[in-house]
Formats: sequence, structure tokens, C-alpha cells
Amino acid sequence: MKTMNFVLALLLVLSLLSCTKKVDVNEKVLNLVVSAKVKGMDPISSDDRYSSNEVARVYEGLLEYHYLKRPYTLVPNLAEALPEVSSDGLTYIFKIRKGVLFHDDAAFPEGKGRELTAEDFVYSLKRLADPKLQSVGWWVLDGKIKGLNEWRKKYADLPAVDYKEEVEGLKAVDRYTLKFVLARSFPQFLYSLAMPFTFAVAQEVVDHYGKEFINHPVGTGPFVLPKFEQTNKIVYTKNPKFRAKLYPSEATDEFKELGYLQDAGKQLPLVDKVVVNILEEDQPRWLNFQKGNLDYVAIPKDNFDTAVTPSKGLAEDLAKKGIKLLISPSLDVTYTAFNHENKLFSNLKLRRAMSLAYDVNKSNELFYNSNALPAQSVIPPGIAGYMPDFKNPWRGPDLEQAKKLLAEAGYPAGKGLPEITFDCPSSTISRQMGEYLKSQMEQIGVHLKVVQNPWPDLQKKINNKTVMLYGIAWGADYPDAENFLQLLYGPNKTPGANGSNYDNPEYNKLFESAVVMQDGPERTALYEKLNRMAADQAPWIYGVHRQSFVLHHSWLRNYFSSDFDQGQAQYLNVDLEKKAEMLKKL
Amino acid sequence: MNIWTYTIRRLLYVIPVLLGVCLIIFVLFNLVSPDPSLMMLGKHASAHQMAEIRHELGLDRSWFLQYWDIVKSAFTFDFGRSWSTKQEITQMIKNGAMPSLTVSVPAFAASTIIALIISLFVAFYRGGKFDKSIVIACVALMSIPALAYILFGQKILAYDWGLFEISGYEHGFPAFVPFVLLPCIIWVVLSIGPDVRFYRTVMLDEIYQDYVRTARAKGLTENVILFKHVLKNAMIPIITWVVIQIPFLILGALLLESFFGIPGLGGITLNAINSADFPVVRAMTVLSAVAYIVFSVITDVLYTIVDPRVRLK
Repeated sequence: MKTMNFVLALLLVLSLLSCTKKVDVNEKVLNLVVSAKVKGMDPISSDDRYSSNEVARVYEGLLEYHYLKRPYTLVPNLAEALPEVSSDGLTYIFKIRKGVLFHDDAAFPEGKGRELTAEDFVYSLKRLADPKLQSVGWWVLDGKIKGLNEWRKKYADLPAVDYKEEVEGLKAVDRYTLKFVLARSFPQFLYSLAMPFTFAVAQEVVDHYGKEFINHPVGTGPFVLPKFEQTNKIVYTKNPKFRAKLYPSEATDEFKELGYLQDAGKQLPLVDKVVVNILEEDQPRWLNFQKGNLDYVAIPKDNFDTAVTPSKGLAEDLAKKGIKLLISPSLDVTYTAFNHENKLFSNLKLRRAMSLAYDVNKSNELFYNSNALPAQSVIPPGIAGYMPDFKNPWRGPDLEQAKKLLAEAGYPAGKGLPEITFDCPSSTISRQMGEYLKSQMEQIGVHLKVVQNPWPDLQKKINNKTVMLYGIAWGADYPDAENFLQLLYGPNKTPGANGSNYDNPEYNKLFESAVVMQDGPERTALYEKLNRMAADQAPWIYGVHRQSFVLHHSWLRNYFSSDFDQGQAQYLNVDLEKKAEMLKKL
Repeated sequence: MNIWTYTIRRLLYVIPVLLGVCLIIFVLFNLVSPDPSLMMLGKHASAHQMAEIRHELGLDRSWFLQYWDIVKSAFTFDFGRSWSTKQEITQMIKNGAMPSLTVSVPAFAASTIIALIISLFVAFYRGGKFDKSIVIACVALMSIPALAYILFGQKILAYDWGLFEISGYEHGFPAFVPFVLLPCIIWVVLSIGPDVRFYRTVMLDEIYQDYVRTARAKGLTENVILFKHVLKNAMIPIITWVVIQIPFLILGALLLESFFGIPGLGGITLNAINSADFPVVRAMTVLSAVAYIVFSVITDVLYTIVDPRVRLK
């Protein structure tokens, strides 16, 4: 009997073992992956890329970026058209699309989602400004809308916030008309209306769920998620009541040539279900992709050499499986910042000498598989203000010139120079980057001490201005050079975004003139001037502009990597026949 | 003293211990930890907004009131909401505990039983080739880092041979079973080395005691001596070793959970530490302390059951 029990138990285990999940090829399902936990589904808390991507599957904003146009172009989403803008650039009038419905939810009468109105945007933006909610996204409206800062200030010390109190610059003129009056001209304001922070929520849903609203996303978007749980998988289904929204029929040439118009004119979304897997480690992401359990994956650093050939092509074994490689530049910049509040770094020649001692090409080879673009200044390629032919005269390596400048700075061969601390995050790669910087500086006699910090500690040091030199990167919030140039704007010193505390009156004045100007050649000329100044003054040792290397299976259509991919899932399609065929090869 | 009085008295000791734990947590987080307002406000923080958020979090109140908050949460188990995710912490713990336990409990039980059986055999054949081979195998198993087992298991057993799921988790029985098999096997392999070495030492300590010689002189068989006498007498250190590990099972296995995409408490704790999410770290610390104390009491009570020489005082 005992032997019989043992055999039965063994058979049970074996049957379970053979039950490894099979990939379903009968339903159009997107299988996506993210590498960090998703915090929640409240638009005003979606400050990281992972959360904002999830929020944008359910919620929508007034504007979005055209899916198939580059440079990035804003187009209406929940707005009927782009706004009417007054000649002084201060008043924006939007018409809201009629007949757009919120998802069905218990918060609405009889559980049926109601129509979206202009008042929903007024409420949603006030919610972003609500002092009791302390949204991480408040910066997108801070000081921009007339009367909104005053409204926020008034309720900061009162027990409750009155959303009914009117704000001069934020009004619903009628059911479908929304009017903004800005406190000062700020053309970048429109970008904020394409960011998930400003997406529309319904007040009755927020009131119904209270603090649990974060787990009950109810938007107007292409996908529905009845309840969010912080787990390893999020499953969205197609919104059956999604409005008539079609896949674009226009595209810039690069997209046309690559066949991105195959689904032109089709109703969105193109898939029935989106499954988002949360996998924090590289290996399971990589293996799951190769098994066909994921539709695309960013190539992990350790697998790069096996996936990509030295000529930046796809490895043969992957190509045979129908896998495609996509290389896209990122709108970002990595840099080593001097803390300009430290008197040592007011010495321009010292900064230039250190910049010249740093071999960015070698660093690109060591840390980015030579795939990044060495940065000449602060603005990355792809946005107005970037100058493709510009060469930073203080960009290394030039050891002779660096040594000469160091001597002129008053520190011949580094004599008299104190030990400089370089602070970096606590990851292995950051340590390696720190050690590399140290070895580069040693060549001219500048001695560095590398100190690793957990991220919160590093932030604290930057904020307290106790750092000397630190390594960091900045990714674009929106595709405008202002978002990068503001990193060196004096009034933005810590705890603002200007963590290096660079403060140059001439730069500040020029920046202030540029940011109030509408897009055009005149503003671009000013951006270029600021970009040159940022190179000449060596406020940082510039690193690189990174590129993303992503693989996707041949059955996934319309996919490309983008810095602003919120809402992308609605445009993606799965070719089920091809999937069934290709899975046999995996 | 009867067992109930003893248990109640020991449980009362929890109060001062918890007050002490709260004090340590308070000191560590108020004096050493970074400012959470920076983490919460992200890259566009302004000084005014930081002051506002510190006020909202109650970080500008007196130290005593902040300490009192921690004490209250330790006794009510109401830990509030996470600063980073805004999720309710009790719910986060409830959601994460089951996935962690579905890996740790079967793996822990299996590794304990297997290690005990092996060590009994080793004790039986002590000094021989079998004993030596097992000791060498244990040292070899212990010398390989946990990450190597995980990477190997995932690549060869799951990906190449397709025996297991590469990663993932489904809630509810039996849906979770295919997903926890490989992590459990790796856990067992990781634990077996240190466990067998410990149990072997315990058994051998007993085997050279006078009573064993007496038993042999009485003509008892080696099996009876080993299973009836030696095992029973070795139970005190075994219970200590086993029961004291139980509270940590709920915390899960950080590396395993992370690589296998299991949404357990290990990942929650790690994320909380990385993002200076004080309420979550506080909750996990308090929870561990309470569990540790409770299981210490259980260990002490179990001593009296397995060994009548131990008296409750």
C-alpha cells in the first residue's frame, strides 16, 4: 500500500511537471514585460515609467504624440482638435470629444460609465494640485496656470480642499469646452497635457473608492482593468465601449518604409488582451522571450554579445527564429556633475582639464558596448537645439591639453589639489564607472575617491550639497530642449533639478528668454546658443546619449521603442498565424 | 509552574522587547535614514514641496509622537500606507505572504526531513566512506553560490529541458504548484549542506554519550539506539534549529522570489529598503520581531515536551 501511495504521489508530481504553460495562439494577446514593480494606477502618482505606462493603458489625456511621426508631434486624443491659442500665448481653449465614455464601474449609477466632460479635466488637474495628495507630478503645473498655485496654497493648511472653488485659469466654459489661462507664456505647457499626470479621472470614482482609488482604475482608455493588485502579472482586457479611434493612416517616411501602415484605418485597440509580466531580473526576461512567452525584450547587457554582432546586426541563430532587432536613440544624457557650490569647482580651467582627461569613447566601449553616442553638450539628438556637427572643444581625451590646463588652474600635475570624492549609486556598474573615472583622472594627477551610496543616500547628499562630484543621468519628460537646459538653470538649484548647482547669470537670462518663446527658428537659435554655452563652461563632464536595443518576435506588428510609449499597446497587433508557425521554431 | 502560566509570562515579555525594537527602529530611521520626501517627490522636488510633504507625513512632529506611532503600529498591526506605493501595508503583507509561504513551507519541510534522514544514515555509518562522501558533498553544495543554482536551474532545467516554468506565479492551489517546484528544489539543494552538517554534529555528539554505551551493553540493536534514544535526545538542538527558522519563512527568499517572479514578501522588503519606504520596512521589522519572539516561546515549550529534564521556571 505504501509503495502504491508513493507511485501515485510520483505520478502526480510528474503530471504537474508536464503542465508547463503552453502559449495560447487562439486569442490576440500582447505579452509584455516590465522590470520593476508597478506602484499603482493613480495618474497623479505615476512618476516612474513603469507606472505611467500602466496608467496610460486605462486612462487618457487631452493630447498624445502621433504614433508614426518624428520629430514627436502632439495630436488631439480626448480633445477634438489642437487648442485655439491666444496671440499672447496665454489662453488655450480646448473642445472635448463628445460621446467618450468612462469604463463601467460600481461607482457610477447602475454601474454604467458616464460621458466624459470638460469638468472632468478641471477636477483631474485640481486633483494634481491638491496639497493633501502631494502628487509627484505637481511640477508640471507649478506656477503655470493662473490662480492654481494660490488655490493650492490656500488649502495647504485647511482641513479639507474645496474643489468647487473656481480657479481663474482653469475653467469648463461649457460641457465640452475647457479653457486654460496661463500665469506666464510657457509653450511647453501642451506637453504636460500628454503626460499621464494630467489624464482624466471621474470624481465619483475617486470619492467612491477613497484611498483605494489607486487600485481601481476607471478611465476612458482602450483597455480595462477591474482591479489592480501589486503582484507579478497585470491582465487588461479590451474596452468593449472604446470610442471610434483608428490606427493612423499617415506616417513619416521612416515608418512608411518599414511597413508600419499595414493596420492603417483599423479600429483600436488591435488586440483582445494585454498581459504585463513583472520580472525584475534579466535572465528570466531573456529566457521567457526566447521561449515566446514575451513579445519583445530589451537586450540585457550580459546577453548583448550573443544577440548583436559587432556590426550591429542580429545574431544568426536569433534571425533564424524570425526575431527582429530595433535600435533607437534615447532622449537622455549621462554626466558627471561638479557641485558648483564647492569653491574648488568655480575654477573653470580645472573643470575643463578634468573634462579633457576623460576618454568618453573608451567608456562607451566599456559600459555601453560602443552603442551610445558621446555627448558634446546637454541636448540629445532628435530635438531642436541639438547640433549634429558641433564638437565640444573640452571633450576628452586630450591628456596634454588637460595637463596644461590643470597647471594653469594652479594645480600642476595635481599638486595642491585635495582628494575629490566621487559619489555614485550602489550598483556594480556604477562602481565600475566610478573606478574608470578615477583611473582617467589619475592620468593627470587628480586623485578621486569613489564612494557608493544607496540611491536615497545619494539623493540626500546631492540635496544637502555635500557631494563634490557625482554620476547621474537625465531622461526627457517631454521632447523639448527646455527639459534638458533647465538642468543648468540657476533658480533650479537643489532640491530642484539642477543638482550641480550651476548658476551663470548670462545662461539664466538667455534661458528665461528662450522658454517663453513659441517653437520656431528663433527659439532653436537660442537653444543652440545655450547648448554651446553649456559645452564651453564645462559645468559637467559629459557622458553619452544612450541607445536602446530591443528584440521583438516577427508576430508582433507596429512595435518600436520610444521614450514616450505611454498608450502604445493600443497600436500593437499580433499576427496569430505567424505566431503559431514561429513558435515551432523556438 | 504549569505550561500556561509559563507561556503567558513569556508572552508578556514581548511588551518590553517590542518597545525596545520600536526604539531601535525609530533611532535608525530618524537619525540614519535619508529624507523620504526626496524619494517621494522625485526629480522635480522643490524646497517648499518637501516641507509640505514632511508635514503631511508627520515628520515635523515631536520625536516622542513619532516613536509612539511606531509603538502603536506594533501592537495594532495597523502599519498605515506605504510612502512609495501608497498601498495599504497590511494588504501588501497579506498579498505577499501566501506566495512566499507556498515556496518556503514545502521547501523548508522537505529540506528538514531529507537532511534529518541523511544525517541519521551518516551517524549510523560514521567514519566510513559514506560519511566522508556526504560531508564532502555537503561542503561542495555549500561552496556554490545560490545565484549559480538559480541561473543553472532556470537555463538548463526550465529553458533547455522544459521541465519547469521559467518564472511566474499563479494564485490558488494547484495553479501555483508548477511555478514553485523549481524554486523549492533549489531551496532544498541550498539548505541541505548546512542542515546535514549541523544534524550530523548533533547526532555524533549524542552517539558518544555514556547512555549509548549502556544501551549497547544491554544488547539493543543499533537501529533502536539510533532512532529511539539518540534521535530523541538530539531533539533539543534540532527543535531550536528548526523552529527558530520558521518566522523567517514568511519573509520569503529574496533571490528566489526575484528571479522566479514570485510576488512574495522578500521583494516587498527589498523594494522598501531601496526606496527608503519607512512604513513598510518598519512593518516588516516589527512583524519579524513578533514572530521571532512567539516562536522562541514555542521552542521553549517544546523543550519540556521532548525532554522532561527541562523545567519551566
